[in-house]
Amino acid sequence: MDLLYNIFIDPFAQMAATPDFLLQVLWEGFVTGTLYALIALGYVLIFKASGVFNFAQGIMVVFAALSLVGFYEAGVPAYLALIMALGVMGVMAIGVERLVLRHMVNQPEIILFMATIGLSYFLIGAGELIFGGETKSMITQELGLPTGSTVVDVAGGIVILQHIDVAAAVIAAILVAALAFFFSKTRIGRALRAVADDHQAALSVGISLNQIWAVVWFAAGIVALATGIMWGARSDVSFALQIVALKALPVLILGGFTSIPGAIIGGLIIGVGEKIFEVYWGGLLGGGVEGWFAYVIALIFLLFRPQGLFGEKIIERI
Amino acid sequence: MNAAAPQPYTTEDGREIGGVLMEMKNITLKFGGVTAIKGISFDIQEGEIRAIIGPNGAGKTSMLNVINGFYHPQEGEIVFRGETRSRMRPYEAAKQGISRTFQNVALFQGMTTLDNIMAGRTLKMHRNFLWQLLRYGPALDEEIEHRRKVEEVIDFLEIEHIRRTPVGQLPYGLQKRVELGRALAAEPSLLLLDEPMAGMNVEEKEDMSRFILDVNEQMGTTIALIEHDMGVVMDLADRVVVLDYGKKIADGPPGEVQSNQDVIDAYLGVPH
Amino acid sequence: MNDKSASRAIESIPALLARNAVKFGDRPAYREKEFGIWQSWTWSEAADEIRALALGYLQLGVAEGDFIAIIGRNRPALYWAMVAAQSVGAVPVPLYQDAVAEEMAYVLDHCGARFVIAEDQEQVDKVLEVHDRAPAIEHIIYLEPRGLRKYDHTHLHPLKDLQEQGRAASQQFAPELERRTGKITFDDTCVMLYTSGTTGRPKGVVLSNRNIIESSKSSVEFDNLTEKEDVLAYLPMAWVGDFIFSIGQAYWAGFCVNCPESNDTMMNDLREIGPTYYFAPPRVFETQLTDVTIRMEDASPLKKRLFNYYMDHARKVGPAILDGKPVGAWDRLKYWLGNIVVYGPLKNVLGFSRVRVGYTAGEAIGPEIFEFYRSLGINLKQLYGQTEATVFITIQPDGEVRADTVGVPAPGVELRIDESGEIYYRSPGVFVEYFKNPESTASTKDAEGWVATGDAGFIEEGTGHLRIIDRAKDVGKMADGRLFAPKYIENKLKFYPNILEAVVFGDGRDMCTAFINIDLAAVGNWAERNNIAYASYQELAGHPQVYSMIQEHVEEVNRSVAQDDMLSGCQVHRFLILHKELDADDGEMTRTRKVRRKVVAEKFADLIAALYDGSTEIYTETEVTYEDGRKGQISATLEIRDAKVVETGPTKEVAAQ
Repeated sequence: MDLLYNIFIDPFAQMAATPDFLLQVLWEGFVTGTLYALIALGYVLIFKASGVFNFAQGIMVVFAALSLVGFYEAGVPAYLALIMALGVMGVMAIGVERLVLRHMVNQPEIILFMATIGLSYFLIGAGELIFGGETKSMITQELGLPTGSTVVDVAGGIVILQHIDVAAAVIAAILVAALAFFFSKTRIGRALRAVADDHQAALSVGISLNQIWAVVWFAAGIVALATGIMWGARSDVSFALQIVALKALPVLILGGFTSIPGAIIGGLIIGVGEKIFEVYWGGLLGGGVEGWFAYVIALIFLLFRPQGLFGEKIIERI
Repeated sequence: MNAAAPQPYTTEDGREIGGVLMEMKNITLKFGGVTAIKGISFDIQEGEIRAIIGPNGAGKTSMLNVINGFYHPQEGEIVFRGETRSRMRPYEAAKQGISRTFQNVALFQGMTTLDNIMAGRTLKMHRNFLWQLLRYGPALDEEIEHRRKVEEVIDFLEIEHIRRTPVGQLPYGLQKRVELGRALAAEPSLLLLDEPMAGMNVEEKEDMSRFILDVNEQMGTTIALIEHDMGVVMDLADRVVVLDYGKKIADGPPGEVQSNQDVIDAYLGVPH
Repeated sequence: MNDKSASRAIESIPALLARNAVKFGDRPAYREKEFGIWQSWTWSEAADEIRALALGYLQLGVAEGDFIAIIGRNRPALYWAMVAAQSVGAVPVPLYQDAVAEEMAYVLDHCGARFVIAEDQEQVDKVLEVHDRAPAIEHIIYLEPRGLRKYDHTHLHPLKDLQEQGRAASQQFAPELERRTGKITFDDTCVMLYTSGTTGRPKGVVLSNRNIIESSKSSVEFDNLTEKEDVLAYLPMAWVGDFIFSIGQAYWAGFCVNCPESNDTMMNDLREIGPTYYFAPPRVFETQLTDVTIRMEDASPLKKRLFNYYMDHARKVGPAILDGKPVGAWDRLKYWLGNIVVYGPLKNVLGFSRVRVGYTAGEAIGPEIFEFYRSLGINLKQLYGQTEATVFITIQPDGEVRADTVGVPAPGVELRIDESGEIYYRSPGVFVEYFKNPESTASTKDAEGWVATGDAGFIEEGTGHLRIIDRAKDVGKMADGRLFAPKYIENKLKFYPNILEAVVFGDGRDMCTAFINIDLAAVGNWAERNNIAYASYQELAGHPQVYSMIQEHVEEVNRSVAQDDMLSGCQVHRFLILHKELDADDGEMTRTRKVRRKVVAEKFADLIAALYDGSTEIYTETEVTYEDGRKGQISATLEIRDAKVVETGPTKEVAAQ
């Protein structure tokens, strides 16, 4: 009975008793979810355009953040460092297209996937070689990002909002809106969707695959840089971050590999869900729930709705 | 034996056929040890409907893929509008006005009819994407102009009612029509059609034949098509080239080709 | 314009055009969707286009009293062609665009048209095909140049060119045009319309300017139509209703006529335009409702529940709210909520968001269908009319709308029912004559101007509403003398979405039997949901489960018919499901999709015999016509089922014999 009480009654009683704390948990979950969503977005972009699951997306986040901090530490002013880090992502995008993708056209997807694993090791190696292996801290203040916090009175108590979290949510929203506009309203966006649908047909109407790939990888690079900055500001910049990036996998299973709204909502569900579960039910299972909660959810989804929440329905024509 | 260069002429129904638009010289295409095309030469004259026929595995689609740059021949030259090259790239082919359709419809399934046909205008769009982001001034004018052209194609093919329908939901016959629309939107100088009537019923075939003739007649577009239905080929084509086992076995007006003994043998499966 | 014409009452469509060009000069008169955009013409622009075309006619040699045939779907230029014809003293004769060459040949020859306005290559080809059978034709004018480039152009003209020539020759022909337009009076012919006719050859109904203008005027006043209305012109131009709505009323009230892009885009265009005044035959409403029902079957459970919940509420209070009757505040609030969640979006999808007045006519409409639209707050009404009456005989006033009547006599109409039950009327809209057919004219219209409708009905005591039973000649007697009203039963059957058409037999016999046509859309959807595989219409129609479903419908109808003493003899004892759809191309229906009873009875005589000889199945072969005109044979073995009938007093006696 106790167990049932602890599962079905107690957590809700707690929520009701201290609504301000519930709000705080929800907010924390929301911010984490935003960042999951951003990482997942990087995967979706590349998956849509080339059908490749880009194993290196997590490393790209680290690499982008490292470049930014690295340039700054080398004496470059913060804003210039930001632009240069963007430049690095651009060079990387063109490099990947020229040196990897272009030579692997029409290869099976698994080969391309292997190539991205190779790419991730290359980026780790290059990152350690250039910037060193030690943990760095994000140049939050130098970039003009807010660092304070605000205490808000709600529901008979208080909720603490870290300004950097607010900024993260806002920047993520802007980024998503910009990408959505870009892909739905512009010629390149249309071309991207065309490539995602049918490579041969896209080629025949004169869409340049090379250009599309470079653009998409660059877009994924921008998303990676933004994620790196935000995540780095909350903890710090190290290769351990790539483990967090793997959280995007359950997010993608939830949201569908090809859906931008899916990535966002999937990210938020996982972010909020794991925080709530950790705080209110975690004790029963000895804590550390955050580490695996997302994967369990993903497993359930794989069983009941393999195409994800927003993924395209898999219809086989007979 | 190379015959003398073909001369411009006027067809019985009053269409003007011009000089050579494209010439394939001695094309050989191999995949590993398999030779798909063996030293084939033929030409396409401006304004004509040129059919490529032959039994299954004769190398017809391979030939189309060479013209459009999907395949790169090991030997031979392609002369297009007087320019000689050993191979095409799809992007360049498209840029020079070669559009095509595919044997098994290759449309952008998730997009609407309108967007599919709009995609056909990719190379006609000149403003770069930064301009497009602005959607203002010249960029907007250009967008409107493209839309107008696309609407003309939609009107021409009588597919107004499916303008906003994702093509994945359309029946096969209409998909084929949308695919033709996408190729037409590029205002091609050479239109390649890979079995445009495959899998269609009689009525759809008649419609498609009418569209092909209208394209050729009203827009003056040169058309090269692969087709299995001999009746259709005889009705549509000005000249026919016949392939068998990667070799050219006949080339000439439909009536002449039809009575050629090699062609009859090829279709009846006489052993070589 | 001289003083005489200015002071005179408006007596023609061209005169109305001149008035509108001044009075509503900048308001839209026509819209047409082309290249994906709604193009529009104001009244003054339309007047200019029509004038150019009229001048072009003069240059081409159109004489007063000439007939100009118009063939095509609803397009502004074709409406202009009609008004331009009137302007030069000629008579427009719109034809059904889907008429086969045969029918077209008869009409073109009968009216002796010298000029034909054809929409496109398809119509031009048809006219050229029948030219030898309609030798009076001198010139063909076409709208769409596509595919016509190589045709011999000595007698073929693009409409645009004709207008250009007209404009260029304005100086030369303007006085003649003024003269001809100026002398048109109320008694001149406005239009000639061929009735499709359920039997025999089509008849050319001559309607005068008086007919059209008086009818338009009083009907516009009846529903307070103004220049702000929008109508969608999509019904055949050859049908009198379209002429009244899209020309008569549009010109009288000055409202805008919107033409769809193509037949297939109709529903979409309807949604975009959102007409305020709308007409559709019951079939269209039926199709739309079937569509909605099917879509709701596939919707998510939440949507389905919302839909059902609010539609139940709408059925309860919707019609009362529409009629302005007292309804409780709570019910009103719920209806208001429902409007936000269900009715509003639904009306929008159907294209009825803005409909102020909607009419249906031509056939009886199913009460469920009728109620469905009314409960959504759409003011759908019924009217009863005929070509010979210039549409209006009876009409339902706001607040007196019911599914089972067709309303009270329209303004200016007198009604009379003779002893056999046939309805007669007299009104300013009564036609002048059948062209070149004095016998038919005399047998339809008597010396005092009374016209026989050919329908049987009665005027309801108390309300004064007219109720229609059936075609007068179709109301027969069964062997034992009981009343046989097939249409009444057929309509009841057709109210089931699964039944597309029904033909009931029983005249002079001892029991009623029926042919059923299933509705492929509805039954096909049902089959899909129930995992019933079928390869063809024929297979689906013959499926035992389909038979059982139809049997239930038939028996339900029998139960409801049995309640009416007069008609209880009409219960369907045996039925079969036809292996093919009744089709106008096979002559089994008219172009307006009314069943040709006689043709069906002759063609399927073997099936009827089987219905009465007690057999349980029958093998049959039938000739069919494909769309391209070729003929073929189909064969099938059809099952015949007995349906339960309700024993009533007199029936028992019959059974006891």
